[in-house]
Amino acid sequence: MLEIDNLHAGYGGSSVLKGVSLQLRQGEFVAVVGPNGAGKTTLFKTISGTVAARSGRIRFNGTDLAAIPAARRPHLGIAHVPEGRQLFPSLTVMENLEMGASTEAGRRDWARNLAQVLEWFPILAERRNQLAGTLSGGQQQMVAVGRGLASSPSLLMLDEPSMGLAPAVAEFIFDRLTEIHRQAGMTILLVEQRVAEALESADRGYVLEAGRIVLEGTHEALRSDDRVRQAYLGM
Amino acid sequence: MMPQLEGLLQALNAGLLLGAHYGLMCVGLSLIFGVMRVINFAHGDFMMVGMYAAFHLFALLGLGALFGSEAGPFIAALLAGPVLFVLGYVAQRFLLSRVTGTRVGSLEGEGHYAQLILTLGLSLILQSGGQILFGSVPVSIPSDISSEAWEIDLADGALVLFINQARAWGAAIAAALVILLVLVITRSRLGKSLRAAADNVQAALYMGIDVDRAHRITFGLGVGITAVAGGLLASSYPFTPYVGLEYVIIMYAGVVLGGLGSTVGAFWGGLLIGVIQQCSALLLPTQLQNTAIFVVFLLVVFLRPQGLLGRVSERT
Repeated sequence: MLEIDNLHAGYGGSSVLKGVSLQLRQGEFVAVVGPNGAGKTTLFKTISGTVAARSGRIRFNGTDLAAIPAARRPHLGIAHVPEGRQLFPSLTVMENLEMGASTEAGRRDWARNLAQVLEWFPILAERRNQLAGTLSGGQQQMVAVGRGLASSPSLLMLDEPSMGLAPAVAEFIFDRLTEIHRQAGMTILLVEQRVAEALESADRGYVLEAGRIVLEGTHEALRSDDRVRQAYLGM
Repeated sequence: MMPQLEGLLQALNAGLLLGAHYGLMCVGLSLIFGVMRVINFAHGDFMMVGMYAAFHLFALLGLGALFGSEAGPFIAALLAGPVLFVLGYVAQRFLLSRVTGTRVGSLEGEGHYAQLILTLGLSLILQSGGQILFGSVPVSIPSDISSEAWEIDLADGALVLFINQARAWGAAIAAALVILLVLVITRSRLGKSLRAAADNVQAALYMGIDVDRAHRITFGLGVGITAVAGGLLASSYPFTPYVGLEYVIIMYAGVVLGGLGSTVGAFWGGLLIGVIQQCSALLLPTQLQNTAIFVVFLLVVFLRPQGLLGRVSERT
């Protein structure tokens, strides 16, 4: 579904991604883990088009994304739930979800998607008319995930969904992601600093360090890898 | 006692009616600032083009003969809106989009310096271009009701209020347009997308919202709305290609008074400016009317910098 081949990208004079290759198949849940500054967020922004690729190729369902502007990519089925949630603070919860449904598919499936999102995150039904900027961090994250799902995506990309959340709330979000993956068969690409939780939820993982993939494998393989255990799991 | 009361009521009435026109102007400017965060120095000059558009449409289409000299000038003002929408849309597409919206990330000072210089330059071009095209002799749209008034007798002839008919109709049209715009912004998908793009450009892109298009529509709407306001005044006040300068100051005062970026606030701000301007004439010589506006403006900036209706922190 998603094939990234030798991708280079960066900002101004600095290069962040130095040849990243990565594959994601339909229905998979894949985690990309790694330290701060490794290029995880840049990788996501390059996929969704707000950072331009310098070289290399990104193909989504066989389409080369190079010529497709950022605002068109969600219409192909890519939902990007960005780092720090990036809600529309002066819009209500419901309006935020509606904005997620800006794609053709999202508008068509709006009633069904909304019911599904409210089932996964019931608190949002109570807060539907509240301004998104006034929600707690955990609730904001739920809106961000819901907003992504409202576009009827075929690929859901989540950038640090646990950022700034209390452990119990983060765990709730991870549980929901697992459920979204299992129940709806959603293809998920997750970027996380909480390596243990991320590898636990995912089928496969990549370790990104200093702009390069240094390790990849199934979650069992990664979790038993000595380098991963030492560097990320504190064992 | 009665003459002073009459004078005050008359000034209030004139201020509210004129203020509604100012309010509509301010709403156009505020929409552009609110959604795009662009300070448009050429806004008054776009309005001037709108006034000339109304003036020439009135003559070319024979609106006076078609709709009568009462309704004709209003139709001309309303038609100036779409004309300026197109002009604004095109200006955004080919000029302003280079220094606004999704491109500001790569520009110094988030593109504000470039926007300042570009809109100032546009302002000069529109003024000089206007002078070449339209000449510098003051013109106005001939209207039969611009000097007609309804007389309202409040106390058996002791207290009579004169309501200018052209101004009253203009104010009603202005208020209706503001209500319509507020409904579009709060209820429609287009309006919500514009607000989303105003809140967070990058997140709007992640939703698949075409932010560049949203900005083109916003700029077109903003100058179109202000053009209608200008067109409504074009039958009462003679104007020249330099009229924009007078009004852009009033517009900025109104927008800041109402709270930057607040659409409804901008309308109240403009309304208040009209009232202050007219009431100050009771005490001050006419030349000092704009001074009164700025005294009140400075007081608000000192005492309530977020504006009368603005929120302290608009963005998170």
